[in-house]
Amino acid sequence: MECYVGIDLGSTTSKAIYMDAHANILGRGIINSRHNYTLACQIAQEEAENHSRFAILEQSIRENGTGQSIAATLMPVLRAKYKLAEHNAQLAELRRICMKDLDNWKDPMAASLYLEAVEHILHRMEQEAVDIYREDTAEKSDFFRDIATSQFMEFAQDQVRRHVEELSFERLVGIFDRAIIRVESVSFAKSFSAHIDFAYREVAAMPAFAPYRDQIHAAVKIADEREFNIVRIVGTGYGRQRLPFEKEQIRSEILCHGLGAHYMFPDTRTVLDIGGQDTKAIQVDGNGIVENFQMNDRCAAGCGRYLGYVADEMNMGVHELGPQAMQATKTIRINSTCTVFAGAEIRQRLSVGEKREDILAGLHRAIILRAMSLLARSGGISNEFTFTGGVAKNEAATNALRTLVRENYGEITVNISPDSIFTGACGAALFARN
Amino acid sequence: MWLDRLYTVGIDVGSNSIKTVLMEHDDNGSEAKLLFSDLSKIRKRETKLVAEQSFEQVLSRASLTPDDIAYVATTGEGDMVDFRRGHFYSMTAHSRGAIHLNSAVRSVVDGGAMHGKAFAIDERSKVLTYKMTSQCASGSGQFLENIARYLGIPLEDVGALSKESTSPEMVSGICAVLAETDVINMVSRGISASDILKGIHLSMARRLVGLLRGVSAEGEVMITGGLANDTGFVAAIQEIADSENMNVRFNTHELSIFAGAIGAAIWGAFRHKKLAQSELQHQ
Repeated sequence: MECYVGIDLGSTTSKAIYMDAHANILGRGIINSRHNYTLACQIAQEEAENHSRFAILEQSIRENGTGQSIAATLMPVLRAKYKLAEHNAQLAELRRICMKDLDNWKDPMAASLYLEAVEHILHRMEQEAVDIYREDTAEKSDFFRDIATSQFMEFAQDQVRRHVEELSFERLVGIFDRAIIRVESVSFAKSFSAHIDFAYREVAAMPAFAPYRDQIHAAVKIADEREFNIVRIVGTGYGRQRLPFEKEQIRSEILCHGLGAHYMFPDTRTVLDIGGQDTKAIQVDGNGIVENFQMNDRCAAGCGRYLGYVADEMNMGVHELGPQAMQATKTIRINSTCTVFAGAEIRQRLSVGEKREDILAGLHRAIILRAMSLLARSGGISNEFTFTGGVAKNEAATNALRTLVRENYGEITVNISPDSIFTGACGAALFARN
Repeated sequence: MWLDRLYTVGIDVGSNSIKTVLMEHDDNGSEAKLLFSDLSKIRKRETKLVAEQSFEQVLSRASLTPDDIAYVATTGEGDMVDFRRGHFYSMTAHSRGAIHLNSAVRSVVDGGAMHGKAFAIDERSKVLTYKMTSQCASGSGQFLENIARYLGIPLEDVGALSKESTSPEMVSGICAVLAETDVINMVSRGISASDILKGIHLSMARRLVGLLRGVSAEGEVMITGGLANDTGFVAAIQEIADSENMNVRFNTHELSIFAGAIGAAIWGAFRHKKLAQSELQHQ
């Protein structure tokens, strides 16, 4: 089928959108990009393609008479099992790289010692993989790096505690740090056929779905065999200059965010985008064309990376920050502007017994306060307002924003889409279609 | 325990690592000798816990128990170390440490993880005047460590690489956190790691030389803090100072990173003796 692709290469994540000729979104993909933009672009696109295949799969099942009744229960299970297959492939790669690295150690004594510890850690990670991808488990990060990092750190601590004399935590984590970068550079998205096959077999063995196995198999086959004919790709985002595209196929993030926000909420007049490493306040006209904007891209304070740094500092995943901040009973005022200094302030406040959630509430308010001053400089908010970017997924941040918007501009419609992180990619896909 | 030996411990709690030293002092307090030292990266662990482990580490190496230690002194952010007896302000400790390492120095540059400080001192290590960097971590030690990590270069190789540079990449005031992408961009533009590192060293050096000028530094300057171990930074700061015709010579010592802890341990011994004396007088 014909499709148009928009790619948003951000500083922390890369997003891709597949769109059909009628401007319907077929699928979307997101990956964390840190190293190689060309590769990030490729993997995000493959993810979007897989997501499109899942949409086709779901549609095929729904269109089949009896399938309709099971689609709602089947899809989450199928997705979870698919993610599990992907996760296992990544784990296997992590194991392969760690072992290869240890093989090259010059000191055989140390190598065998660390080999044993890493073996223990990886073994536990492999054992826990199934539990991570139960369909009923709580919200987790989309990224292998986040999940693997927190597991590895936890199990490494255990190992060090058990062998205090021989093992250095620093060195153990070093092994992981070096390996994970390379795991991230391998594209597993291409293995749709293999992974969906695994997921299908898991599902077919479950009593609830076994009676429908033929229908499910047929749908899987359709999704797997569908071909995508990409008519045009447009790239945007921080890394757009690195894309292997023609000049005409590259658009600025400001334009894409404006248009993307207009597509999602046609009455939008002001857009705030808090991305990984820049924050933009954009004013658009009735067609989603940019009229004015203000941007901060020289300092991490007030950008998404601020929260990323905080999460690192608190040993949490970025996705856990918002929920924990929501538990706050008061908002602690954060005095540092600089992100690194705020990190130290966090540690100090924790050590004097302040609660994590109260500190986090303060940090969320701090980032939104920075955004408010940017909004004011771009011309303020007069009509419908849309909040986009990765931070818009964070409930504590959106709550702080709603409060501050009301205090400063009165009752304004605030639009936040659950897919707001894809706004830029969506704008790019629209440019590709036009 | 030998009665004529006095042992003290100095713990310098930084934002990135904890430095602990065990020192032995003679009776009249004129000689102090470092017995054991420990440098522990905090790595997001509980600071208090790391401090405790570091303390136990030096004690066990000396086969001593906490009871053998006359005084545990902290400096830096030592508030959370609850087994300390006293706390010394970081500049007081660093200047005392610097004088201990080289009695000829009259100024100190403390290149720490988050702050840069420059201060002028007298021969008794009294701080005469000081200047500090502002509320932004750009150009700090943490900043350099981040850059090294983004480049995938072990911290101990940074100095040698920087010294190999032939055309340093000029950088100025980039955010310590956003530097990651700036560095990726430089790498993808084909700039070598050594030119990137040298450029960053020069920009950091320029900032600290500015502080030194502010305290009218002259003659021998001791570099303390983690940056002292970075030969590339030391070369860069000398280069900048020379190009600005400042009459300063930079000194480092293999124990420079422990200067704060050493100073705290020495002040601890001093205070312990004062306390002991006043107790004697009261009896």
